[in-house]
Amino acid sequence: MAKILFVNPVVREEDDPRHVPYGIALLAAIAIRDGHLVQVYDENAWRKGAQVLHSVFNADRWDVIAIGGITTAYASIKAIVQQARQECPNATIVLGGGVLTSLPREMMGFLPEVDVGVIGEGFITFPEILSMIDADARDWASIDGTISRTADGGLFISGQRALLQDLDSLPYPAWDLFPLEEVYFPNSQVLFSEEGMLARRRLDINMSYGCSLVCKYCYHLGIAGDMRYETDENQETQVAFDQPKNYTRSIRYHSPEYVVGLVKYAREKYNIDFVVFLDENLMTMDQYSKRTWMSEICRLWVAAGLQPTCIRDGVEHDEHCTGVHWSGTSHATLCNPEILKIMRNAGCSHLVYGYESFARHVMKTIGKGATPQTNMRSFFWTLEAGIRPIPNQIIGFPNEDFAAIYDNMEAWKKLGIVVKPFFATPYPGSEWFTVYRNRILEQYDGDLESYLLDLGDATRITAVISHNFNAVELLGLRELMLNFDYKRIRAYEQYWRKNHGIQPGEPSTLYRDPVQEVAVTRITQQKLATG
Amino acid sequence: MSTLMKGNFTPAHNVEDAPQQADTLEQRFEKEALKKLGGSIAFVSKKKVLWGDEADNKDEPE
Repeated sequence: MAKILFVNPVVREEDDPRHVPYGIALLAAIAIRDGHLVQVYDENAWRKGAQVLHSVFNADRWDVIAIGGITTAYASIKAIVQQARQECPNATIVLGGGVLTSLPREMMGFLPEVDVGVIGEGFITFPEILSMIDADARDWASIDGTISRTADGGLFISGQRALLQDLDSLPYPAWDLFPLEEVYFPNSQVLFSEEGMLARRRLDINMSYGCSLVCKYCYHLGIAGDMRYETDENQETQVAFDQPKNYTRSIRYHSPEYVVGLVKYAREKYNIDFVVFLDENLMTMDQYSKRTWMSEICRLWVAAGLQPTCIRDGVEHDEHCTGVHWSGTSHATLCNPEILKIMRNAGCSHLVYGYESFARHVMKTIGKGATPQTNMRSFFWTLEAGIRPIPNQIIGFPNEDFAAIYDNMEAWKKLGIVVKPFFATPYPGSEWFTVYRNRILEQYDGDLESYLLDLGDATRITAVISHNFNAVELLGLRELMLNFDYKRIRAYEQYWRKNHGIQPGEPSTLYRDPVQEVAVTRITQQKLATG
Repeated sequence: MSTLMKGNFTPAHNVEDAPQQADTLEQRFEKEALKKLGGSIAFVSKKKVLWGDEADNKDEPE
């Protein structure tokens, strides 16, 4: 059976490692289930650098070196695959995850060390790659969901891999293969709620895959059914994601029994006290299930004895509380007071809401299906249920203007929101990346790789897609917003209007529908970018 | 046996840990100061200083 080395690359280097990579943990479990020999080296957890990687690569004769991650792990992935190829010339290097899926052809060009890429979900594709290695064959083109190299130096994208429908057939993640006691449990704290702050043994779980919404800044990279294969004028397959007025979605979720069974297993085996549900949007699933899914999970949670004792006994949470608190993601329009109360009773401590903006004209353009009114309504419903809402905000939307800035500051003041907004960032795989690709590349001298290396978690400014403000303006305005400095913002607005020839009383915007601006198709854009 | 790598079999060779070098006092100070950067908290990162030729900094004669 194949001897596999999984390497987890470094992500968010500026922060401590906090999250066991769920995808790698599942793929490792699948490989073990299928009888393969598996080792995991978690460079993100250890951060030991090239010297230890040298020892890892030479620890055995690896058949497969498997690496994957999101786009923001690209710099680490690049360094690791280069070293892997040098030290393990005979190993098959497999790359997967969002970094590959969002830009498969470009990534295979940037990383010539990679033999085969897994596009989209790897639950079926990766084991098939391992089976082929066991059979001593390398016919990657015959495996759906791959991108591989052709004899003439080109790239070949095989057929599109269907999504796994029976999610409960997945084994539990191979958490054992990660440094839980050494690294992850000491970094359990999540500063979103009192219970999160006191978490000492946290694990993360994904209960569902997908989201029914079409937020233009969001990327799902195939697992939400958002990926389409298209044939270009050269009869070559290109991978496409959300485009204006062209969206596809698939909603999938684990059964409540699987979810609670997994949490119970984690509680018994690792004595966990907190779970972060990584799901894109728990409320999408709940609504899709006709409001049965979330409440059944909560019912089973309590029945399994996982309900925190502080909630059971109606006392303030402290270090002596037993049970498992948890958090997840919600949506302003899709939640309701009943389900929030049920969730609280089962131990939910905080819910992340992408409120994004409290400006109606901004919310209308982002595909979120929410309004400032639904934002506020859900905010109070969540507080009333005893759950902390985490009110994420974004600045720098394409049509962000002074009116939006004032709307947001008013809402923050009224709702007591303390926030430092993210910058609107067009990540590869999002609709914005497709629409604004040329504009992004202009900001990086036409060098896509420079943009990928610059990308972080959107707390720092990268490519600007605002029609009204440049990077310097966005940075300055955000700082003034945090201090509620209306006086200086208004003074700057007068200056800005004068510069752009916009009279007082007119909307403070230069925004034009970006779809109208796109003069060439996405595929042609790709060719321009890759030469 | 190192626990840097974990799996379901014993690899042929042990993974050697890199010798841990404790932060120097200078590194510790700069890390702590960086966390509080702003206002009166400012510092010189000594490794980034470009020492100019003293002669270049001399005032030109009147």
